Amino acid sequence: MPGPLEGYKVVEMAEGVGGPYVSMEMGDAGASVVKIERPEGDRARGWGSKAAGDLGATFVSLNRSKRGVSLDPESAEGVAAAKKLLADADVVVYDAGWTENPELTPEAIMALNPKAIVLVISAFGGQGPWANYPPYAELGAQMTSEASLSLGTPGAPPVRIGNDNGAMYAGIYGLQAVCAALVARDEKGGQRIDTSAFGTLIAMRSTLWAAQSNPDEWWGFHLDSYIKPPDNGYHCKDGAVSFNLGRMSREERDEMYKAFNMEWVKDDPMFAIVDEDPAGSGSRYGYLVRPVWEKALKNFTRAEVIEIGRRFGATVFEKQDYAEFTNSDQVKAVGMFTELDTPGFGRVKAQIPPWDFSETPAAIQSPAPTLGQHNAELLK
Amino acid sequence: MANTAGPLNGIRVFDMTLAMVGPWCAMQLGAMGADVIHIEPPVARNAGQPGRPGGSIPGVPPSINGNSIGYISWNMNKRGLTLDMKDPAHRANAYELLKTCDVFLMNMRPDVAGRLGVDYETVSQINPGIVYCTVTGWGQTGPMRDLPGADGQINYFTGMSTTNGEEGATEGELYRHSTQMDATTGNYACQAILLGLVARKRTGKGQRIDLSMMRAASALQTARMAEYLARGTVNPGLGANAQVVAPDNAFMAADARYVSVAATSEAEWAKFCKVIEHPELLDDVRFATNSDRVEHRNELNEILKPIFASYPVDYWVLQFRRNKLPHGWLMHWDELRNHHQVMANEYMVQVPSDQPWGDVWTGGPPYRFSKTPAKWFATPNIGEHNEEILAEIEAHRAGSAGRS
Repeated sequence: MPGPLEGYKVVEMAEGVGGPYVSMEMGDAGASVVKIERPEGDRARGWGSKAAGDLGATFVSLNRSKRGVSLDPESAEGVAAAKKLLADADVVVYDAGWTENPELTPEAIMALNPKAIVLVISAFGGQGPWANYPPYAELGAQMTSEASLSLGTPGAPPVRIGNDNGAMYAGIYGLQAVCAALVARDEKGGQRIDTSAFGTLIAMRSTLWAAQSNPDEWWGFHLDSYIKPPDNGYHCKDGAVSFNLGRMSREERDEMYKAFNMEWVKDDPMFAIVDEDPAGSGSRYGYLVRPVWEKALKNFTRAEVIEIGRRFGATVFEKQDYAEFTNSDQVKAVGMFTELDTPGFGRVKAQIPPWDFSETPAAIQSPAPTLGQHNAELLK
Repeated sequence: MANTAGPLNGIRVFDMTLAMVGPWCAMQLGAMGADVIHIEPPVARNAGQPGRPGGSIPGVPPSINGNSIGYISWNMNKRGLTLDMKDPAHRANAYELLKTCDVFLMNMRPDVAGRLGVDYETVSQINPGIVYCTVTGWGQTGPMRDLPGADGQINYFTGMSTTNGEEGATEGELYRHSTQMDATTGNYACQAILLGLVARKRTGKGQRIDLSMMRAASALQTARMAEYLARGTVNPGLGANAQVVAPDNAFMAADARYVSVAATSEAEWAKFCKVIEHPELLDDVRFATNSDRVEHRNELNEILKPIFASYPVDYWVLQFRRNKLPHGWLMHWDELRNHHQVMANEYMVQVPSDQPWGDVWTGGPPYRFSKTPAKWFATPNIGEHNEEILAEIEAHRAGSAGRS
């Protein structure tokens, strides 16, 4: 059965993370995607370390389900070849600043093909003083949107989110907008959509901004948990867990305190405040009871904390690295990875698309192309 | 109020969701013009709705006049309807309403839909054209199928919290970056629903879509996880350093603020050396290619630290912007919401409301359509639109047009 975007044609003029990701999602969803690279290739081809044999795993993981061509957008032949592909595209994914050539700007593409949905991805948005800045500014976007503030310690050096969230969010929101525009296309025709790492990072922090709408109540640095303290991560003897009390009754809670050898906290006034008024002061003072929890859970193994916590109704899960996660029983049962042979890279595990459609299943179509792999068939 | 200019004008969503993932997803559909009807149990049966009166789970602090900021900021762009699905008359109304809907959305554990009479078999029989989407924590199968799962647990389980930490740290502060896994899953669900609507144009049929937080969180980490799968090793904490690009880090400038800078291609590395006035670095074999620089990241950082410490942040921002090199700095809330770049793109909006919580600042649409603008509007109070929606249901039942 073909995927949800069967029959749609996508042209990608993008590199790095965000643009390649959104067009790969469309490829997985059944669209026919052609990635255009400049002669020097997508910069992400070189993102990696010596350990990975120089070739970027980032590139390989974000460029499957596409065919690839290379051309020089500054040359007459390059422009003619690109225009041929663009003329009957349904969707164009375009990095702001991909070329300065006036024949291949988003405006020129829309004039050439008025039914196209042109998604322009930039670092900071399509309007304003930094309009249409190229989107390869992950850390800049993360910092500018204050995202890193929720990770580091006040006064200490910043800690970035260890994933390219800004670029990925731009891709994820980009696909929403493109699909919505496709739903409206019969009536409205093609159109331009602008998105950015900066804008999507701000959107993803909406809860935090809303919280600050009430300055009398806002007191925090981190956005607090929406479940009772001690909803947080804790180190155990041999690892770490995420831990919260779930919907535990007072009796269950007292029994659990006993099992963790911390029953004395029943008489501790700070615990009384936190446990009895979790929505108000309790949540505000969660950090005061945290050291007690830290000390108590440190005496148990991860498996013990999970077993004891769950026995009384707490929500407890392992903190895992990628090795543990990708080998976990749940991941195996659900089936999230397949093996993919990629030319020039080898055979590695690849993550299948996250959506399960009953009628129009998405699936990986092909491995990432080598530079210019499909020139002969597509640029004739 | 509704956004009739949006690309999804004419699409109606049966939004039977709670907490964050489902509400967040439907909120995006509402911003783009869908008529989203958020269905909640009446107040008396409202236990479990975060931040709602009578709920057993408190909301994200702070609250405003007793209303959780979580509830308020995850349910914009909708109409509010209360239905008690255990009451036959209410359930009949739900079924009548479903006949007029294009999308069904629910984020509860796998067994709940059947108990409430809205399993796929029932709903698709009522309306074969419906795009029916359910979101669970861990998936519809496997040993963890019935376990609870929310933002923090998903973050920890999928490895997200191990992707970074303070520099050199393998243990220490346990980072979780609150609400990101919930919002991410909501966004993937939104994609899935929209893909289902696009597919319906071709097939003429609805379908069932399942999504789990575990897989959404994992998909967000596609590239980072691929590096692990290819290399077999996991990076320790790298502070503000990028994992696979160097230089890509934050440096303290002369005014003790941090500036973030990067060179993401060989062409940018050449410009970078010119901008910082150290062209000799271009001839250093340790830094010849990106993978060389990643390998010698610490040596490169030690060379760059005193250079960036010699001028204030504003100097570096101007220099890097003139040369179109990646850059940024830390902006706090007041600086951010008043910044020209944010205002020009409407990345933050102040949403007016007559409800007890009043006007609320929040993130606006992160996408800008040239023809079909998205729009943010106020969160309904519980059951706020009962009267008008029930009248619409009655009208539909009576065989009149029904859809306003």
